[in-house]
Amino acid sequence: MNFNLKKVSVALLMACSLTACVDDGDDGQAGITGENGANGTNGVSTFVTRDDVLKTNANIAYAAYSDSLIAAQSLRTAITTFVALPNEINMKAAKKAWIDSREPYGQTEVYRFRVGPIDALKDDGTIGEEGDGPEGKINAWPLGEAIIDYVAVEVDGDSGPETPANALANNIIANTTDFPTIDAASIAGAFEHGEDERNVTTGYHAVEFLLWGQDLNTDLAGAGTRDSSGGQRPVTDYALDGTCTSGAGNTVTPTTCTRRGQYLTAVADLLIADLEPIVNAWEPVTGTHYKAFITGGDVSLAKILEGMGRLSFGELAGERINIALTTDSQEDEHSCFSDNTHRDIFLNAKGVQNTFNAQYTRIDGEVISGASIYDLLVVGGDHELANSLRGSLEATMSAAAVVDTKAKTGTPFDVLIQEGIEQPNVVAVIKALVKQTDEIEQAIDALGVSAGDIRQDTEEDI
Amino acid sequence: MKNKSYFSSIQPTIILGVLSIALTACGGGGSNETKSVVTPTPEPIVDHSGLSPLINNTVDPKEHLPGGDATVFKNNEDAFSTRPKMIADNFKLDGFFTSGDHLFRTPDRDIGPMLSTGSCQGCHINDGRGNIPASPTAPMLSMLLKLGNNTGAADPIYGDQLQPFAVQSFKTPDFSSGISIHDGSINGTELYGEAFPFIVYETINGTYPDGTSYELRNPIYKIKNLSFGLFMENIRFSVRIAPQAFGVGLLDAIPAANIISLADENDTDGNDISGRASMALDVFSGETKLGRFAYKAQNTSVLQQVAGAYGGDIGISNSIFPNESCTEQQQACQMAADQESKVGSEHDFSDKNLALVEFYNRTLGVPARRGFDKNNSTWDENIIAGRKLFFDTQCVDCHTPRHVTGEAKGSVLGKLTLTGLEENAEPIAMLSEQTIFPYTDLLLHDMGGSCVVTRETDIGDSCTTGAECMYVQRCDGLADGLIQGDASGSEWKTPALWGIGLVKTVNPKATFLHDGRARTIEEAILWHDGEAESRKEAFMALSQEERQQLIDFVESL
Repeated sequence: MNFNLKKVSVALLMACSLTACVDDGDDGQAGITGENGANGTNGVSTFVTRDDVLKTNANIAYAAYSDSLIAAQSLRTAITTFVALPNEINMKAAKKAWIDSREPYGQTEVYRFRVGPIDALKDDGTIGEEGDGPEGKINAWPLGEAIIDYVAVEVDGDSGPETPANALANNIIANTTDFPTIDAASIAGAFEHGEDERNVTTGYHAVEFLLWGQDLNTDLAGAGTRDSSGGQRPVTDYALDGTCTSGAGNTVTPTTCTRRGQYLTAVADLLIADLEPIVNAWEPVTGTHYKAFITGGDVSLAKILEGMGRLSFGELAGERINIALTTDSQEDEHSCFSDNTHRDIFLNAKGVQNTFNAQYTRIDGEVISGASIYDLLVVGGDHELANSLRGSLEATMSAAAVVDTKAKTGTPFDVLIQEGIEQPNVVAVIKALVKQTDEIEQAIDALGVSAGDIRQDTEEDI
Repeated sequence: MKNKSYFSSIQPTIILGVLSIALTACGGGGSNETKSVVTPTPEPIVDHSGLSPLINNTVDPKEHLPGGDATVFKNNEDAFSTRPKMIADNFKLDGFFTSGDHLFRTPDRDIGPMLSTGSCQGCHINDGRGNIPASPTAPMLSMLLKLGNNTGAADPIYGDQLQPFAVQSFKTPDFSSGISIHDGSINGTELYGEAFPFIVYETINGTYPDGTSYELRNPIYKIKNLSFGLFMENIRFSVRIAPQAFGVGLLDAIPAANIISLADENDTDGNDISGRASMALDVFSGETKLGRFAYKAQNTSVLQQVAGAYGGDIGISNSIFPNESCTEQQQACQMAADQESKVGSEHDFSDKNLALVEFYNRTLGVPARRGFDKNNSTWDENIIAGRKLFFDTQCVDCHTPRHVTGEAKGSVLGKLTLTGLEENAEPIAMLSEQTIFPYTDLLLHDMGGSCVVTRETDIGDSCTTGAECMYVQRCDGLADGLIQGDASGSEWKTPALWGIGLVKTVNPKATFLHDGRARTIEEAILWHDGEAESRKEAFMALSQEERQQLIDFVESL
């Protein structure tokens, strides 16, 4: 008989022996004239079900958002130390804490674009629609830096609001009249001032701006040649004695430095406060969204693929990479103050790969893994697609690793994009993301779900 | 008009179809000619789209979905900036929409040297309407000022549009640094905005036949502090507020013949309404085509409108409008233009980015109607009553409720991909073959009035020269005095009414009509004159309750 043991996993044999297998050739009595055995699953357990995949996906969401919260708390501690004792060492430690905080958060962004807590969690703890969640308060960009603190005249892009009519008088740190107290409430109150989405005053990038300052390039005015460093904010911007500055050499009243420290501390507090409900919503067993998600069936499965596809194409390849590339604008660069954009790209892409492979490495090194979409495709007979998509995600990671390495070796993203639309390393990431998006679409078809079904775009709202 | 938009004549193809059916239906081998007389079939009454006409007391089952497949279900501040489901459900289309949105709201590096605002969203606030300045001393930030003389020619120094700002207003923290200064740029080196336009209002009081009084505010446009010297002789000014942006992709896809069939230049049907099609140069084909965009319908496509706005309003040169926002006589502006970086192409903005913004504008969704209960498919009775009044007072003669779209072709710039444009752009399915309810005929109508421009000082004394000597334009009625393409100084394109009830939800400061003079929909109706005078009078003759019902209906659109 034509019996190829390699193609049949142990799991399959077990499954057959448990169920009423008729003659699948396992006794070999019919010899080569016997029926072919069923295709195996290449070592993937045939017991992997859709609901297993949902649970693993939810467990990783909890782990990644928890890591983000833990890292944000570490950031807050480092900021407290720095603001109390503003020296170079403490500033460096605070910057390091910010960079560290971005590592888990970047990998959570694949949980966006799927009507999950990050995009849709309302203040009352229920899930609304996209836009109701705290995402903008946590990670919106470009930042409205000009309404937070002093800025250079021009840094390759406009940092102001959509219209000067929405500008706040002066900036919040300098404006003691309208903002006598700087705390979480006053900063949150200025967020999207005048209903202007460009008036971003909170989140990771506000912390980043307050630590690094604008990336002023070689002429220290913003207009010159881009260099390999991030922003040039001097530590004296936080000096509590008479040496307080707003930019190197520009001595100002110590009140300004005190207020800058208050802003930095308050915005870190807000970041923690905005992350906490997300973590709670994903808490295994008890979290409201966790419970709903793991019992959501095909709709939840569609959400996973929707997040993968929309992050891959529209957000990462489109808005975060291609727009920055075609406008050659530092303002359109995601982490423009710290020059950490290469990590944003790498970690966003990594999140998509994590999701497909159902594997995530926590900040303490613990590896979480479980039932994956890869497994589900294999079990469903789509071995080739499973393998092809796995390969495409790997190709994206290798292309992103090039951008990552270039940045770490002295050519950050803002320099890479400078050659206009021809920059091959950056274009390679875009192309890889486009290819993986095509295959994510195929996976949606293969798994028989419809990404569109997750949007309750009905007339009920009217 | 040769027809009145709904109880209309028949399209020739349909007549033929009916006749051929009638003829073949008489069968019988033709041996008995005398008996084969065709009974005159009553002419089927169809509208300009070939559909059964809408009537005053029966709501079409699709009317609650004014954008067809492009309808969106938001009635909050996002009502005009939402992607329809067919876009959201496709990763690629969703991505192009997202990128287009980013470009729409983000100021480009190479804005200016002179401009009206720094980004698309700077005028189209929240993708809705702009604001009039809060006071005569506040600059105009989300409005435009078009220029021309009494024959429609552009000003040799200032061009066909006044840009109130120089780029430093938007690129430095000092907003006032780019505002115009009297003769400030004449030296050819220092660049300021071209002039400072502002509006003052005089009150017009009126009374309804039932004795209810109303108050309108009539704008007087004033222009001071000309940076580059005097305007040409017989200059005219047209002040326009940015309109809401959504729905234009659907209007673009209405077959031109359907619109043109509504025209009735000589009012042959004697209904007072003499709509004219605006025929304009299509910059891509070089042909004369139906204009349908902008307040005087001078633009033939969404892309032309978008590219023109980038060029004229923001100072972003592109392959379609390659000139910077300066005339040859504005040396200080030309010098500043030479400093721009022009990323990746000879223009400020690449065709790919232009195509992304075009796609975004074409696919922005149309908000669903309010007042409809989906669960039992019924309408609010008040809305039904208002609808009947809207029909009975013949508002529908210009505000044509319904159209159908043909195939919405892909961009003439090419097929979008993230890495570049390719050949053979595919049609946009969501916009094609849709039944839509925009409430416009897209035709030009004479709304009456005329304008006079004088030179005056601050206190109204006549003057001819000097820093204190302003230009002042007074108009009666809706006229702006500016000839633009086929449109005269008192003609305007019928604006679409869909979404009008959400205008203030999206931007609470927004107002109505081309220059924002009407604070309410009621005021906007009362400004109608010229061809529309009898309709306005019909509205005024209604009882107070009926007027409110009609307004409630318009608010539900």
